[in-house]
Amino acid sequence: MAPEEMGKVSYRMRLLFAVCSVLFVATLAVSPVKDLLREWKHYKRGYLNLARSRPDTKRLIADFHPDLDQIWIPEMNVVDRCTSCHQGITQATLADASVPQPYRAHPPIPHRVKEWGCTPCHRGQGAATEVAEAHETTLAWEQPILPGRYLEGACGSCHRDARPETPKLNRGRQLLESHNCAGCHHLQDIQRTAMPGPDLTNVGTKVSRAWIYKWLKEPRTVLDDTGSVKVSGYLTQESPRMPQFRLNEKELTNLSAYLSSLRSHPLAPYKFSPAVLAQWSKRPDVVDQGELRFRQMFCSTCHSFAVTRAGETKMIGGEIGPELTKVASKVNPDWLVNWLRNPQAYLPHSKMPRYEWTDEDLYKVTRYIQDKLTDSDLLTSVPQLGAANKDEIDEGKKTFLEKGCSSCHAIEGMPPQKDFGPDLSALGSKNVSQLEFGKSTIPRNLISYIQAKVTDPSSVNQAARMPQYNFNAADLDAITTALLAMTGPPPTSALQKLTVPRPNPQFRPAGEFAQVYERYQCADCHKFNGFGGDLAPDLTYEGSRAQRQWMVSFLKSPQTLRPTLIFRMPQFNMTDREAAILADYLSMVMQSPDVRAGSLNAKDLTPAQAALGKQLYEVKYQCQSCHTIGSGGGYVGPNLNNAGNWLKPEWIAAWLANPQALVPGTIEPQRSMTPEEIKAITAYLMMQRQGGGKSAQKTAAVHAMSRGGNGVAGQ
Amino acid sequence: MKLRTLLLLSAVPVFLLAAGGCRKPAAPAKVDALRNAYDVEADANDATHMIPLSYQQAQGKRIFYADCVWCHADATPAGPSNRSNLTPVPPVLSDGAVLNAVNDDYMKSIITLGGSAMGKSAMMPPWGRTLSPEDVKAVIAYVRAVAQPPYQAPPLAGSPYTREGTASSPSK
Repeated sequence: MAPEEMGKVSYRMRLLFAVCSVLFVATLAVSPVKDLLREWKHYKRGYLNLARSRPDTKRLIADFHPDLDQIWIPEMNVVDRCTSCHQGITQATLADASVPQPYRAHPPIPHRVKEWGCTPCHRGQGAATEVAEAHETTLAWEQPILPGRYLEGACGSCHRDARPETPKLNRGRQLLESHNCAGCHHLQDIQRTAMPGPDLTNVGTKVSRAWIYKWLKEPRTVLDDTGSVKVSGYLTQESPRMPQFRLNEKELTNLSAYLSSLRSHPLAPYKFSPAVLAQWSKRPDVVDQGELRFRQMFCSTCHSFAVTRAGETKMIGGEIGPELTKVASKVNPDWLVNWLRNPQAYLPHSKMPRYEWTDEDLYKVTRYIQDKLTDSDLLTSVPQLGAANKDEIDEGKKTFLEKGCSSCHAIEGMPPQKDFGPDLSALGSKNVSQLEFGKSTIPRNLISYIQAKVTDPSSVNQAARMPQYNFNAADLDAITTALLAMTGPPPTSALQKLTVPRPNPQFRPAGEFAQVYERYQCADCHKFNGFGGDLAPDLTYEGSRAQRQWMVSFLKSPQTLRPTLIFRMPQFNMTDREAAILADYLSMVMQSPDVRAGSLNAKDLTPAQAALGKQLYEVKYQCQSCHTIGSGGGYVGPNLNNAGNWLKPEWIAAWLANPQALVPGTIEPQRSMTPEEIKAITAYLMMQRQGGGKSAQKTAAVHAMSRGGNGVAGQ
Repeated sequence: MKLRTLLLLSAVPVFLLAAGGCRKPAAPAKVDALRNAYDVEADANDATHMIPLSYQQAQGKRIFYADCVWCHADATPAGPSNRSNLTPVPPVLSDGAVLNAVNDDYMKSIITLGGSAMGKSAMMPPWGRTLSPEDVKAVIAYVRAVAQPPYQAPPLAGSPYTREGTASSPSK
């Protein structure tokens, strides 16, 4: 190379250099351009355009800034950038449906959106800055947004108690509890009950081998083609307690052999008195009489059965006990008599009350059940099984353990299997990659997984031991919601303070009362200190509310107080002593701290006060719109015709001052009454007595006074 | 030549996809009453038409079915309604012909203070001590959602498109 040419660059080299420089600049420019075209910036600009087109532009862009917005709640592990795009989320003027998303305001909720962010309720990826990554499942971001239908599941992650705002979640938790899911799975806040299913120690004395075979093959409650739940062929709302296991012929034969061999306590048939047998066994109307007695004892409060009325057959009755349409084809007649006399002798944990029977009633009712609640065709599809041999029994016992039956059913001498199924206490926060879908073609997300697993476990896992439950669509959604709420322990201790645990109330009375209380299973229907059923009034403050004498006569012969409600309290035929024990305990113990016993004496209330009370009742407060006195009035509240014999005056006064303080959630609205008005109305109500000559005269006097005193009060 | 073939080949599925998308109309959303039992309300005049409810409206529905349904509906969860026992007969909640005519403020007052405070029947009790202001708002939101004929919200007060105050207080 010549010296003068040194330092000179050839044309080709220059061109190469120029091209490289341009390429280099272009490469560098990709980053700012990419940044400019980011999705969230597009939405930022869109918001500005929207705000400019609205009349209140100034307010809408008052706290606008062009960068990413972020809500950070360290104690909840929340980093939310959602408001970068959802700009108008707190702007009240952007609430109507014509505003395009993502700018529309959030509908009103009890939490402040700006303080809590979005992901605590909606889930999804708070830190993501792209639409798909924030809302859906992508490779790197796995938590999708919770569909609106299951939103209550997110409420349940923090609010573990049953709040009225979340009916779906509460229903789901209730279903998980009543279907004994905790028998096999570890669940958040739902404890395993000591005895989830019936004790099978003596089941061989109760049912035949053929019936067990049939029951295991197809439990009574089945889902038909249209998705409706049917029991014994009749439509029902009830979902089954015993799920359907996928058992083959051999397993069915062996299991039925094993179970029918369980007879550790032989059955001693009850001997009816010869006089009753002689009188009733030949009478043609014994079945009809039995049916009448069956109805009078309010068996249908807890049990359902098919009834034909006006050519239409349908299920009526409660869900506390099993369905009875074909019960006589199921149980041994001698067992039935013993059961009715003392259910707890066979099943110590049974909810069935122990009625006080006369031989006559017992005979009539069992004859009715045997003649009418039966189906001779029930067991025709079952093959001839014959007597159980030893091999079958041994094999059956093995199958019983393999299938996890002893998770729910106790047998004397067999330890229960706890945690037979997988732990589900953190199922709601599982990522899709942690789920096994097998060969199924369902969409790959947690919700479809849960629903597939509950409706047909073998669809996602051929070897699943889980049985099949037949839930209707609404209940399936409720259960899914409750399972989505189970997100394990909160991530930080600060959040632990925020979560509200579910109370687990217990009511364990002692002494004589406990015996009567357990005999009649009061807590099946009534609540005591937050523990018990929902079917009947809460008795927590019954001692402050009702007079002892009234309680005794009600227990001896119950009658309805509320015209709109279906009357369900059975007549237990309890003895005077038992009624007295219950009434004494209720009046002494079940007291409200807000009602001072004896603070208001019925004798101190004057007829003049009662006359004023009548006017207040009828004119100023118009209580008759909901309550009945005399023949007129509304159906909403209880009938007050016998209030003077039923209620305590101090209860009426405290109730009128603040009903919700005594019974939370009662629909009686709180009024602003003066103490004088309260006394006057109490006086008027205490005059309302039925079945007493003296008080009737008094009432008449009050009526006369109020008519003379002021013309307005007359009806 | 090769490139063109490739382009053509790749255009075919794109065209097919687009054409398929055009021909196949989106299936109408199936109404499943059971599935939607918790956050929708059946239209009083057309049971197959379900009205979706927001959180607030759903809370209003819950409160309505606890407290109001006994007199403001013809059927109640317990069966018969108390409505026929009352004179004057209270309006059914979804009756838009009556309730659309009153504004939210009036509705709030009559629920909170009771009928007698607003010159109506004292049979409507005051609920202000039983329900919180949020509860009352929720009930009104629910009433508006289920009204038949549908309720039209008045334009917001203070907006330049309406004269000052025309929406809420016409007497001014």
